[in-house]
Amino acid sequence: MPTFSRTWWGQKFIDALESFTDSGRLSRGRSYARGNKVKSFEIKDGIVKAEVRGTVNPYYGVYKEPLYKTVVEIQPISAAKWAAAIALIASKASYISKLLLNEMPDTIEDAFHTLGLNLLPRKRSEFKTSCSCPDYGDPCKHVAGVCYLLAAEFDRDPFLVFELRGLSKTALQAELAKSPLGIALSAELSTQATSPAPVESYYTQPQAIALPSQLSLKDFWQSPKRFSTLPEPSTQVAVPAILIKKQGDAPAFWHKDSSFIATIEELYERVKTKNRDVMD
Amino acid sequence: MKILHGTWIPAAADFIQTGAFYLWVETTEATRKRSKTDSVHPHQLAGTSLAEFLATELGIKSGATTTRQPPQLEILPQYFLLPTIAEQPLPSLELARYLETELPETFDWQYWQVDCYKTTALVKNGYQYASVNNVIKVLNELHFLALHQLADVQLGADLLFWYHYTQAFKQVILRDRYIPALKYRSLPTQKTSHTASAAKSAAKSTAKSAAKSTAKSTATRTKKSAATSTSTASTSTQTPDFELYAAWEIVSEQYEAEIEQYAEVMPLVCAAGFTAPLKTPTLHDKATLLRHFSECLLTELVTHSPSTAVFDKKVADSLLELCLSPQHITTPNRSAEALEWYQQWKTWRDRIHRSQTEMPFHLCFQLKSPDQPEEPWTLEFQVAAKHDPSQRIALLDYWQMRSPEQKQFHKEFGKDFEQVLLMNLGYAARIYSALWAGLDTDQPIAIALTADDAAIFLKETAWVLEEAGYKVIVPAWWTPKGWQRAKIRLKASGRKMGGNDKSKSYFSFDTLVDYQYELSIGGEGVSEKEWQQLVNAKSSLVQFRGQWMELDPDKMQQMLEFWKKHKQEHPEMGLLDFIKLTATGEDGFEFEVDHDQTLTEMLSRLNDKSALEVLPEPQPFNGTLREYQKRGVSWLHYLESLGLNGCLADDMGMGKSAQVIARLVQERQAGETLPTLLIAPTSVVGNWQKEIEKFAPQLRSHIHHGSDRVQDGAAFSAIVQNCDVLITSFSLVRRDEKLLGDMHWHRIVIDEAQNIKNPKAAQTKAILKLSAAHRLALTGTPVENRLLDLWSIFNFLNPGYLGKEAYFRKSFEIPIQKNNQVTRSAVLKKLVEPFILRRVKTDPTIIQDLPDKVEQKLFCNLTKEQASLYEATVKDVEKKLNEAEGIQRKGLILATLLKLKQICNHPRQFLQDNSEFTPERSHKLERLTEMVTEAMEAGESMLVFTQFTDIGEALEKYLRHLHYKTYYLHGGTNRVKREQMIADFQDPETEPSVFILSLKAGGVGITLTKANHVFHFDRWWNPAVENQATDRAFRIGQKKNVFVHKFVAIGTLEERIDQMIEDKKKLAGAIVGSDESWLTELDNESFKQLIALNKKAVME
Repeated sequence: MPTFSRTWWGQKFIDALESFTDSGRLSRGRSYARGNKVKSFEIKDGIVKAEVRGTVNPYYGVYKEPLYKTVVEIQPISAAKWAAAIALIASKASYISKLLLNEMPDTIEDAFHTLGLNLLPRKRSEFKTSCSCPDYGDPCKHVAGVCYLLAAEFDRDPFLVFELRGLSKTALQAELAKSPLGIALSAELSTQATSPAPVESYYTQPQAIALPSQLSLKDFWQSPKRFSTLPEPSTQVAVPAILIKKQGDAPAFWHKDSSFIATIEELYERVKTKNRDVMD
Repeated sequence: MKILHGTWIPAAADFIQTGAFYLWVETTEATRKRSKTDSVHPHQLAGTSLAEFLATELGIKSGATTTRQPPQLEILPQYFLLPTIAEQPLPSLELARYLETELPETFDWQYWQVDCYKTTALVKNGYQYASVNNVIKVLNELHFLALHQLADVQLGADLLFWYHYTQAFKQVILRDRYIPALKYRSLPTQKTSHTASAAKSAAKSTAKSAAKSTAKSTATRTKKSAATSTSTASTSTQTPDFELYAAWEIVSEQYEAEIEQYAEVMPLVCAAGFTAPLKTPTLHDKATLLRHFSECLLTELVTHSPSTAVFDKKVADSLLELCLSPQHITTPNRSAEALEWYQQWKTWRDRIHRSQTEMPFHLCFQLKSPDQPEEPWTLEFQVAAKHDPSQRIALLDYWQMRSPEQKQFHKEFGKDFEQVLLMNLGYAARIYSALWAGLDTDQPIAIALTADDAAIFLKETAWVLEEAGYKVIVPAWWTPKGWQRAKIRLKASGRKMGGNDKSKSYFSFDTLVDYQYELSIGGEGVSEKEWQQLVNAKSSLVQFRGQWMELDPDKMQQMLEFWKKHKQEHPEMGLLDFIKLTATGEDGFEFEVDHDQTLTEMLSRLNDKSALEVLPEPQPFNGTLREYQKRGVSWLHYLESLGLNGCLADDMGMGKSAQVIARLVQERQAGETLPTLLIAPTSVVGNWQKEIEKFAPQLRSHIHHGSDRVQDGAAFSAIVQNCDVLITSFSLVRRDEKLLGDMHWHRIVIDEAQNIKNPKAAQTKAILKLSAAHRLALTGTPVENRLLDLWSIFNFLNPGYLGKEAYFRKSFEIPIQKNNQVTRSAVLKKLVEPFILRRVKTDPTIIQDLPDKVEQKLFCNLTKEQASLYEATVKDVEKKLNEAEGIQRKGLILATLLKLKQICNHPRQFLQDNSEFTPERSHKLERLTEMVTEAMEAGESMLVFTQFTDIGEALEKYLRHLHYKTYYLHGGTNRVKREQMIADFQDPETEPSVFILSLKAGGVGITLTKANHVFHFDRWWNPAVENQATDRAFRIGQKKNVFVHKFVAIGTLEERIDQMIEDKKKLAGAIVGSDESWLTELDNESFKQLIALNKKAVME
């Protein structure tokens, strides 16, 4: 069963949630998150607003599936402090490189600690949650469910954490633009949303050309040039899956707990070794 | 003869346009009668005969079988646009070589229907069978078959091209140069309710199939789309305007370059295959056809790779599952979650592209060693421009640039240089995580490494980074040249055992080597204590006596133990064993050798033949040895004086026989010697004797051949005792094994040593059994490329030196020829180099030494058949001659000359009976064939002149059938054709070829300088005419030395003609006219003498 987050930052967020929520509600929250109970989910201006389907329970007089409005907010960081934090981040190439690769740098909290802050929430007081359900407990299972989904969302887009801490995308870019390294990241962020590249055919389509005039028999039957050498003997690579490896182990489309690199390495190996009947 | 053709034929155009690889067979025989209207190719193997031929003759199987009966191969008709004339397709150029038809200059085009075999194999995956394109394997096997002439087939240029391309394409698979992909197809917005609902249900079902397995996380995926559009169930209310297909994509700069490169060499016939005939003559575009082929093949291979339940589970619910399933890749997906996948994938894919193929500069890492051993190492970050990688700039310098300088820099390295740089440093850090440490700053410049980290970097990481597309620069001492290593040193000294002991005089030449083991690093002796300290340091990169080097402490420990065990020994061994030991090492250690003066000289002379002291020309020698030939003789002398045996492998035409003869003269200068046994192919036996007569008439030679040869032991022994050289043929060694084996020979020489390449053949075994003090092998083919031939020759020269055949295969042939192991071929080279002397004509020092034109005679004996024809003709004419007079007599003489010349060429030419034109019937033809083969292998072109058109024609056909490229120019060739042939022959892109010319038609006016061998198959009375012909090759523009070979049939009028030409100076120039008419002036007796047959010169 997939966990909600495979990244350290998503997991940190979950750890915080789990530290102040009772286990029953957490468990229900997880099944809400997995069971398609979260009907809609929206992040706007740093606030998460969701609609969560409740349970029909005639015993409590609930005969029709209720729909609860759930809101999750994280305590924001002030604009001035953000400016200082971003300046710190933009002073280290390793931070920028990782963020460029869509990863939260694993030592990023160090930068926040020097300002007396932390990026990922750790305490109950940093969470502001509400739900329209009748449960007296807060956070309720609906809040928990939404938080689990939120953690998964962080995996994909670490910048969402910044947004929930009160730094909008535009503000982030404005801050980044103040330093040379930051400009690099800012430029990458603005190119991130790529539009689809439609193709006319699944495989490259062989183009038709009219028969050239004045073709001699030699032109037709023989190579225009001699093959100078036989192809090199085929050799295998020392390091498999280099192409893939540069992009890290967690491409956004990979939703499994297992390692993407390990899986595709095995796939490459299978293609190489299991096709001897048709290749060698 | 059958020509194999084939190409990739795309299926009918569609969004997913597939294709298949089709093979077909073109034959010399018309296989069917054609009605005028149909367009079925008449010269093809069709239907079941094609299937049968492929299965039985070429062993093509359709893979794993589901039933007991092997399935029939699938045969389908396809259409090829082919040159056509008179409603008949023209033969391919390969087939035309076997036909007698003249190819037209102009022709039409038409689509012809051809039965084809679709290359597929059944592959088992779990419980299912699927048919998969096995073109890579099939072409590899066919190429092997054709190359080794295991079947009577030839590959057309089209299949040869595809063989080359598929081998190159394999790299995409073997080097993981492809990624999972999604293809986005835009659909026109559909308005009518009917189509909308149809699309809707299609979308539903496909969405379901894709989402079924991923249902559990569906909510996660819909979120984002829900966030952007307020509606949460978009698929059920609106028809999407896109479809997504799982796919595979090739990402590789190398692949892109290869597409371009191979599109350039693709023959057009490869682009002429279609599933249905078209209205107007059309071909496929080469580059897109190649891409289509590559993409289809990759997808088919990947999606049909046999899997396991465990692996299926690993990819379940992921993009990979879609990409791996043959069903899914053909089923479009229109769900919103698929679109989200697509966007995520696209970002990922674009980054891969940017990091791989679109980098505007190279990111480089240079490892620098510290001055002091305790200081850290540095790995410096640098960038280099793509167009000039030698211009590297350290990032340290970049960050220090002023703003205008940086601006200038960005012009070259890109506006977004810093962004691309940081990304790529990040990518590199993903592969080599130590790099992160260097990125903890806003201006990354380098990282520091410990000596151990540096060692790992050198051994592993550097390769990984290189493979990932970065440039790595390592210290100079790390490169093989500067490599300093810990080795065990052999302190060796040479000692030569004298030849004073007469009783053992053949075998006492063995040179002995005394040796002692020492420890050494980088060529310097090291004490045990120092060595022990280095071992204890446990670090592989150490600074020793001021220099950095990599040492392996574990191996050093082993060496130390080896040394301790052996240091007290003072063993000795033979020189041969010593050379072997230093080349291959022992116990897995490499030895470094410290020789004393004697041994150093010995080995340097063996390894660098130019260092050899050149001995004066032996006396008496009837001729002048060239400088390189003198060196060859000196080498033979030196080798034999050390008790070693070698192989003289000079290029064809460089005079190997003169060197051997000179050696025979030389050793007789020193004293009496036992005879040498010379074993040669039958076709050159007579030539050897002629050469000996020419260079050293004082040497007594005897030909042991023919049915009247002496077979009695005592008589034979008497002959041997009275001669210096006994010449015999390979086949006779086997037959007279005992006779020859009972003799003591001073030396055995095998000419054309490749004749003993089959170690199991009786003749090889018989030769190996002969005993002699020395052995010498002669060959003109580059032995170093044919490893088994090389082994066979060494098995003759120095038995056991290269090990048994099986051992040799395992430790040299397979590693070198199949796996391309450079280290093994270096070891082999070290082993054999001292024993092979090979000079090539193209060597600049040889060119200097050779005259521009080298002439030699090729003396050949008559076969029995030729001799009896010759004799009968002579007898017949002798009778008639006495009766004939006047014009009749003249006619008789001229006719006789013609007949005898024909017999000397080949019995068929005389008989005019279209009997077989085989080398068994004429040693002349046999010798020509051998020499053509040798020249072709060396990539040289040649001219063959004859005065007879029928022999020209027969030669052309014969050589063409041996798969050589040939041209034939005779009196009947028209001007256009002639020009075309000449241009084609001269074209450097044309393969080496044989140009056959009639003496009259080809003697003047044309330039054929690509040839550097000229053969005169039969002789003309006037040397001026021959020289004029020779000058076709020997003209302005000729950069190579030209070798002229003139055939002479021994004991016939040809030999006498040759003698007359040689004696021309003595005769009045007027006598030898430009034609044969002057011979009619000879009186009967003189004429009879001229044509008489010397029966001794006959050979079976």
